[in-house]
Amino acid sequence: MLFSSIPFLYYFLPCVLILYFIVPKALKNTVLLISSLVFYAWGEPKYVFLMIATVLCGYVLGLLIERYRGRTASKGFMLLSVVAFLGALGYFKYADFFIENFSKATGVSVPLLQLALPIGISFYTFQILSYTIDVYRGNVAAQKNPIDLAAYVSLFPQLIAGPIVRYVDVAEQLCVRTHSFEKAALGIRRFLFGLAKKILLANTLGELCDAFMASPDKSVLFYWLYAIAYMLQIYFDFSGYSDMAIGLGKILGFEFLENFNYPFIAKSITDFWRRWHMSLGTWFRDYVYIPMGGNRVRKARLLLNIFTVWFLTGFWHGAEWNFIVWGLYFAVLLLVEKFFLLKQLEKLKGIRHIYVLFFIAISFTIFSANGMGEALSRVGGMFGFGGIPFASAAWLYQLKNYGFILLIAIFAATPLPKKCIAYLQTKKVGAICVNLLEIPVLVCLLLAATAFLADGSFNPFLYFRF
Amino acid sequence: MKKIKNTVSVVLFAAILLGVSAACLLKPADAFSDAERRALAQMPEWSAQSVINGEFMEGFESYSADQFPARDALRSFKAWWTNTVFQKKDNNGLFIAEGHISKLDEPENEEMLAHAAERFNFLYESYLKETDAKLYLTIVPDKNYYLAEKNGYPALNYPTFIEKVQEKTEYLQYIPVTDLLSADDYYTTDTHWKQENITDVAKHLLDTMGVPTQKGDYTVNRLEKPFYGVYTGQLARKTKPDTIAYLTSDTLDACTVTYYDTGKPVVGELYNMEKAGGKDPYEMFLSGSAPLLTIENPSVTEKRELVLFRDSFGSSIAPLLAEGYSKITVVDIRYIQSSFVGNFVDFDSCEDVLFLYSTSLLNNSLALR
Repeated sequence: MLFSSIPFLYYFLPCVLILYFIVPKALKNTVLLISSLVFYAWGEPKYVFLMIATVLCGYVLGLLIERYRGRTASKGFMLLSVVAFLGALGYFKYADFFIENFSKATGVSVPLLQLALPIGISFYTFQILSYTIDVYRGNVAAQKNPIDLAAYVSLFPQLIAGPIVRYVDVAEQLCVRTHSFEKAALGIRRFLFGLAKKILLANTLGELCDAFMASPDKSVLFYWLYAIAYMLQIYFDFSGYSDMAIGLGKILGFEFLENFNYPFIAKSITDFWRRWHMSLGTWFRDYVYIPMGGNRVRKARLLLNIFTVWFLTGFWHGAEWNFIVWGLYFAVLLLVEKFFLLKQLEKLKGIRHIYVLFFIAISFTIFSANGMGEALSRVGGMFGFGGIPFASAAWLYQLKNYGFILLIAIFAATPLPKKCIAYLQTKKVGAICVNLLEIPVLVCLLLAATAFLADGSFNPFLYFRF
Repeated sequence: MKKIKNTVSVVLFAAILLGVSAACLLKPADAFSDAERRALAQMPEWSAQSVINGEFMEGFESYSADQFPARDALRSFKAWWTNTVFQKKDNNGLFIAEGHISKLDEPENEEMLAHAAERFNFLYESYLKETDAKLYLTIVPDKNYYLAEKNGYPALNYPTFIEKVQEKTEYLQYIPVTDLLSADDYYTTDTHWKQENITDVAKHLLDTMGVPTQKGDYTVNRLEKPFYGVYTGQLARKTKPDTIAYLTSDTLDACTVTYYDTGKPVVGELYNMEKAGGKDPYEMFLSGSAPLLTIENPSVTEKRELVLFRDSFGSSIAPLLAEGYSKITVVDIRYIQSSFVGNFVDFDSCEDVLFLYSTSLLNNSLALR
């Protein structure tokens, strides 16, 4: 089920909230578990059993890891969990990629499995892995209550598109959490802003991307317009989902960590990755990069560590070569910055933002393509390869058509709106206006989002396919 | 203040969520959307099978959007938001220019064009090649031809498009009509042309086909019911309606129309007044979608027959072409297989064959069978 859908907003959510708030504390996690399973089964009836099996496996292995703590068996059970969870992920997500490439490389034709990708498998696999590894490391105690663990893994607000909530961050909240009007109000505000980001901005920008793809009248400027639109679309799509997840979490008493921090104002690519999909970045840092030795190793090993992490980051996003190239592209940029550029960028205040946005635009053009062939053709198009014209009528029209939305999106992607509101709140009249207008603005955003849904302008979240 | 605001936020959000949810559950399902002219999704049937294979959920998604309370008002609000807040030039692919609602042109679709040409070629090879009939083609441009580029909207390259159709149908003599038309010859809220404005087009076609025409003294009759064309609902914005006018004359009044929808001939009218009061009043012209019909004109005493292959633009011009023929057979291969046409139409007895199609259909010709 999608957050940005009428069944979720006006059927599922009211039922869940009523049930959640009328049952006693002891049953709240049970309500969350059941509703999360319904939420997941709505989109993936068959794969709900895979998720239940993952939870059971994680539960048993967590207990065994703790029981044999300090002994070799504990490490064995931890490794078993890694193999089992990554094995399931590999089977469902990557099997056809390996088969296809094996067939191409050897000429031996092996039939593809053609399995449907279980929604959110990349997210919940990383969550359950964080649990068993943290139990092994002694960072957290094994969860004795299977319902609490299952509620954590399947928690519907962040089940299918993150943020990747690590068990250690919510272990306490699973047992004890507080609910208040203040938290709920903050959650509602966050949820509605996220909903508006997704439906009003991301989906509208998605229409521009679709128009670009359907247009036979391509030009260099049209390729750049697409790159900018897609960059903003994926930001509002994914950060909108994260906002909704964090907002719903707050309503339900949870505090999830932030996943985005205005990534497009980054001063370097290194800074960008501290601001974009932060939960994934920190996951790879803590469970891959640091265990491999992190920074405190010889140069050759450092290179290996960075390339491995970014190869895996790219591959995590999808079983296609363009995702791998996308990951390695960042590895190269980060290494260049680490060894040469970072200090220079400190001095180039205006130019560094252009540098970041330029390389990010290219990266998302690679990211958005269906395979490497299309990625190369699109990046080539941005630089006029293939004899395409510099400008076209279609570009001009779409620039006029979406120009204002792009301006709104660019403004909304910076901290300026937040700063404006903060400034207004320092003034007496401004503070009154902000307080008085907040609720009508939220109602208006909900109304507009509902209107867009009722009119059928509907796109699934881009991050669903990861 | 903060406390009050938080409480109001929570209570209001809960009230909206529960209120709308209750309205969704209690509202009886509508069968049809007049604005969008389409059947609305109904509650899907629940079964273990439909849940497991996801059909129920898919059906429910459509049902919940289609049956949402005050949906038409919300669609209008969305259109307002798109055009006013977002300053978009179009909504749902439709725009307003010079008082007309028009639909953005689809990019030229080579496959569709080839499909249309292949269907025409099939008709030519199967029925027309061996006859003495003279074969003609006319292409009705979409009103975008007159509106889009001028108003800054992207448009199909109409001259190239028409040229391509001509190249693929060299056995047909092309009769151009683009110079005889203007945006005002089309309804402002609909895709079609106005019958009262195309008498010159009909005369030009008849002249080119060498058919002697009469004076064409028509009486213009107007329907009282306002005509909200197909684009009004799609745009979801209230616009000034059109009025449908239809032409009558002594000659047209004497014509007999026979429909063959069910295989058996049924005598009908040129202008179907029941349909004029229906959901799409444009269907009053030759009763709208009809696979096969004939118009017999007793005023033309000398035998002269025309076979007209057409789309919906043909509905309003066919009566005007009837002025010059003793009999017109009107065929719409969207509703009858091309391979069956020979069972019902005698091509040996006709003098002329005219293919009359709009650019929008030729560029999206999948319906041609």
